[in-house]
Amino acid sequence: MPENKIDFTTNELVTALISREIRDGDLAFVGVGTNGRAFTLAVGIPLTAVRLAQMTHAPAASVYWGNLLEPDLSSMPADLRQDSFTRWQAAACPSDTGVKCDMLARRAFDVCFDSGAQVDRFGNLNITAIGDYRKPKVRLVGCLAQPEHFAFVPRPIVVVDLDRRVFVEKVDFITSVGHLRGGTSRRDVGLSEGGPHIVVTDKAIFDFAPDTKAMRLRSLHPGVGLEEVFDNMGFRPVVPDEVPTTPSPNARELELIRQVIDPNRVLLRV
Amino acid sequence: MKEKLKNLEEALAPISSGNTLTIGGSLLRRQPNAAVRSLIRRGVTDLTVLTWAATTATDMLAAAGALRRYEGIYTGMFSYGLAPNFRRAVEQGAIEVRDFSETAMVARFRATTQGLEFMPIKTLLGSDIARHNPEQIRPFPCPYTGEPLQAVAAAKSDFTIIHGYVGDKYGNVQWPIVRDSDDIDQMMASAAKRLIVTVEKIIPHEEIMKRPTLTYIPGNWVEAIVEVPYGAHPVSCDGHYDEDDAHLTDYLARSKTAEGANAYLDEYARRPAGHDDYIAMVGGLSALRTLDVQP
Repeated sequence: MPENKIDFTTNELVTALISREIRDGDLAFVGVGTNGRAFTLAVGIPLTAVRLAQMTHAPAASVYWGNLLEPDLSSMPADLRQDSFTRWQAAACPSDTGVKCDMLARRAFDVCFDSGAQVDRFGNLNITAIGDYRKPKVRLVGCLAQPEHFAFVPRPIVVVDLDRRVFVEKVDFITSVGHLRGGTSRRDVGLSEGGPHIVVTDKAIFDFAPDTKAMRLRSLHPGVGLEEVFDNMGFRPVVPDEVPTTPSPNARELELIRQVIDPNRVLLRV
Repeated sequence: MKEKLKNLEEALAPISSGNTLTIGGSLLRRQPNAAVRSLIRRGVTDLTVLTWAATTATDMLAAAGALRRYEGIYTGMFSYGLAPNFRRAVEQGAIEVRDFSETAMVARFRATTQGLEFMPIKTLLGSDIARHNPEQIRPFPCPYTGEPLQAVAAAKSDFTIIHGYVGDKYGNVQWPIVRDSDDIDQMMASAAKRLIVTVEKIIPHEEIMKRPTLTYIPGNWVEAIVEVPYGAHPVSCDGHYDEDDAHLTDYLARSKTAEGANAYLDEYARRPAGHDDYIAMVGGLSALRTLDVQP
């Protein structure tokens, strides 16, 4: 244990990590999420991370959230009923969501955040159905704009908890095309460069090997061992010779997260 | 201008079993729930529905066994989780499902709006959404560059039902200046063959005329307009009232079984004589006013 060790939660660790992935001037797409842990993964961590980036190294980074372009992230409401969304201040609220779809398709975004029920070795994502599509074991929500994210956004960031049921060899249904079957298969079907950039979990960070496009371990969170990661995955990721530890948040980042961005713990509650 | 003001039952009378309906709203906003309850009351069934982010309206139709086919981008209950009745029916293989992503669905409504059979997209290259739907998502090469594209079929329906904010007796519907625009209701309206709009309030035509830029559904497109206060209950109408958390929680609890959901529909859709009766059942206007938000 290093001296003067700073205590932080896993949510704070990954939030700080993601914020360092945000470059100045980036436009990031954040969805509107659901509830509980799913809300933290889809909305809480991404919004906190982009706000942290804005307050540190990326003042010109911006967010498209729901149908709000450049919403005010300086004060988060205490509840998330409809009227809080309706009254959220923003630079723009286009007349319909088709405007956001057009921006996605013409590659106006740099980063997006995605979560799902299954993700596989090549970063394909499933939010549609578990089992047989025509008579599924579990029918999920459908697609939303997640296919667009992987098709058109250069640096999608997948935020999910590491779990054997989620990290599967092959997704039951490809909602969002990641690196498809690896290698050049994504380009071969006509999709542009891109696909999932990193996969952020509660135990480790992954990226994708440049040649095979298979999921590769990038770093282990402090205190997490290789076996623990393997035990929570349905496939074996590429493991480099040296696996670094995920860098810890610094005191300044933790202060901003806790005291300025999310003082009421609305975003990083669970 | 032609007067188009009707009561709910008159407006919905042309809809019959087997029809295809486009249903407006998004997530917990402006689902045309009063209209859907009326269709369930009348026993309309065997429907195909086209939706954006669907919640209660589609889930109640699934609970009623009235859905034959669904085409949309999402069906769930937003912050309340998965859509219990839709999910159960799909898992039983009782509903023919065709999933579309957001750009795909937007392209489908824009195609109809422009009188075209399809629009090109490239969103779904390599995806199982396309693989499972060769009828409505067809590959073709770009005539200019040769790159692979997909022709996504125009969204065609017999009727379109939208719940709007306020309108006049001629069917001109206006949105408020501050609202949640995360939907495609206007696009659905412009693509409609026969458009039925329910609104929170009918206001004088003179008020509409003073601010025509707020008219998002011109009366010219509308077949019938109906005043249905709290017509989206138990979800919200942004700028008018919030979602009814207690009612939605009860709906979810009772929808854990098909029998429970059916009893809910008996109580809130089939037994009330109409929307006025429904309002009385949920505590009357005084109870609903507690959900109101500042305009």
